[in-house]
Amino acid sequence: MNPSPQANAAAPDHRPGQLAMGIGALIVAAVLAYGAAAIPSDAGYAGVGPDFLPWVVSAALAICGVMLIWEVRTGGYRHMEEPSGAARGDWRALAWVSAGVLLNAALITTIGFILSCALCFALAVRGLRASEGKPIGNLRQTVKDAVTGIVIAAPVYWLFTKLLAVNLPGITASGWI
Amino acid sequence: MMDTFNQLLAGFATAGTPINLLWAFAGCALGTAIGVLPGLGPAVTVAMLLPITGQVEPTASMIFFAGIYYGAMYGGSTTSILLNTPGETGTMVTALEGFKMAKSGRAGAALASAAIGSFVAGTIATILVTLFAPMLAEFAVKLGPPEYFCLMLLAFTTVSAVLGQSTLRGLTALFFGLALGLIGIDQITAQVRYTGGILEFMDGIEVVLVAVGLFAVAEALYNALYEGRSEASMNKMNKAHMTRSEWRRSWPAWLRGTAIGFPFGTIPAGGTEIPTFLSYATERKLAAPEHKAEFGTTGAIEGVAGPEAANNAAVTGTLVPLLTLGIPTSVTAAILLSALQNYGINAGPQLFQTSSALVWALIASLYIGNVMLLVLNLPMVGLWVKLLKIPRPQLYAGILIFATVGVYGMRQSAFDLFLMYGLGLLGVVMRRYDFPTAPVIVGLILGPMAEAQMRNALSIGEGSFMVFLQRPMSATLLAVVLVVLVLPRLLARLKGSAAS
Repeated sequence: MNPSPQANAAAPDHRPGQLAMGIGALIVAAVLAYGAAAIPSDAGYAGVGPDFLPWVVSAALAICGVMLIWEVRTGGYRHMEEPSGAARGDWRALAWVSAGVLLNAALITTIGFILSCALCFALAVRGLRASEGKPIGNLRQTVKDAVTGIVIAAPVYWLFTKLLAVNLPGITASGWI
Repeated sequence: MMDTFNQLLAGFATAGTPINLLWAFAGCALGTAIGVLPGLGPAVTVAMLLPITGQVEPTASMIFFAGIYYGAMYGGSTTSILLNTPGETGTMVTALEGFKMAKSGRAGAALASAAIGSFVAGTIATILVTLFAPMLAEFAVKLGPPEYFCLMLLAFTTVSAVLGQSTLRGLTALFFGLALGLIGIDQITAQVRYTGGILEFMDGIEVVLVAVGLFAVAEALYNALYEGRSEASMNKMNKAHMTRSEWRRSWPAWLRGTAIGFPFGTIPAGGTEIPTFLSYATERKLAAPEHKAEFGTTGAIEGVAGPEAANNAAVTGTLVPLLTLGIPTSVTAAILLSALQNYGINAGPQLFQTSSALVWALIASLYIGNVMLLVLNLPMVGLWVKLLKIPRPQLYAGILIFATVGVYGMRQSAFDLFLMYGLGLLGVVMRRYDFPTAPVIVGLILGPMAEAQMRNALSIGEGSFMVFLQRPMSATLLAVVLVVLVLPRLLARLKGSAAS
């Protein structure tokens, strides 16, 4: 997997993102330390209490964060496998898929599992289609996607609620929709 | 020995009931399907189906889940050979030679060698599990908290330092997983930690949620963001069939692959990647001079047979530490463990006594499942290949629906769905910057267990950390941990020579 020189020139600089990952590790470490300070250290016979591991994890993550940042400052991550896929992200496609997942989370209890999942499906398909550079779909296509979503979600819903007695939200109490 | 045999027979009686056979078949078929489909692995699938533990009895659901687990290894090879995008990480190496074989018109031979090799390795490995697991369990009963803690430390080290490219990134992922595991109520003192006053955090973060977010949702998001323009070309299928000379070349590779794969599965060194790479390197070195030229050019059948046997043997091998010690060494094993926990069953050395019916039925179902998978994957391979025709947008959007079922069905909380999305985003950046995700899962599930063992061990040692050095077993294990930290450098060199 040796990229040609041209590909190398076109390859994006991953270092800002890598730096962000390092900083992220430091932030998590700081949050852990802040929380650990509030945990009592009653040790009993063990010599270490419930705050021991939090401090260890916080310290370790802080060290990892510092070392990640050091690697970035000295030329970037070591032994990096070039990530698969395009050099640049397709943010519009991501936005569609994200909208699907988030709306599903927001609406599932009000409009029920089947409709909410069908909505998620239709939006995600739009996004994924956009990422392939195809037209994201006109009204007709959207209706088709929504129906496909219902056709997938409904049997799943019946299987889980009727056969496996797993609680999934519906609009009616009948357990069918 | 006689005792083992009798219990195995009883296991066959349980596993052979029509309803359990049906569960085994459903698991194998579903496992093959998700193995073939890119984007869904056995871990996520089992995770999404965990809600069924509320309704289905333990033996049936464990048989079902185990079928998914090793079925995925059979199916994954099909995708590796035909599509060159491995369906599973364990079948990555298969793509090296298998795809080239398929390109030069020998797809059928590659598929046959992979399926039969998986069967041979899976069956031999199951025999080894049958023989050794009860012995190991008997021995493991004598282990105390210090030894357990060191074993878990070993699992942490291997999963984060050995797998993946960089020890630093592996450890970062591991500690992040441990941090997630801290959220909730401390097992020993019932102290509440890191809930930030959010009620949902009181019960801790479920492994299902993290696995589905980090793998399934991340996969869909990553695909939308980066993979839209990646074109995959599919190789032509032909009849799954091997010539006499291909048989002769395959079977020693199967046996060697099994011999390499099984031990790697059993020790807490986790994962199927290393044994498959090792097996590939071995086959390449041992290949007869007249076949050596096929490696990397037209595709050598040994390079498919060996790694395919190795990954199946390793997968079966991971059941040994899971069932005898309660220590998962792969992501899927971690989720199987949480399935057992859902039933209130404590995996560990006592399992062979307290739930012996379940364990032996599970082992018997492995024998049965391997036969089913051979049938599912040889004559019926054409059926599974059709799955690869599902258009990408519909496939990933559909995965999101199943992700919702798994996560929401777990405890009926829409909050979890938002969390799932957040973890999905995390999975995207982790993949982009080459952080391994398996350590997060293993850290999350083993972390709380390791913490409890450590504090119990320290209580035994009256608060002194010397307790870990004074006991011979735990001191040895600590030494092994050190060796494991050095070994990867050596393996990296091997890997380098295999790739060049």
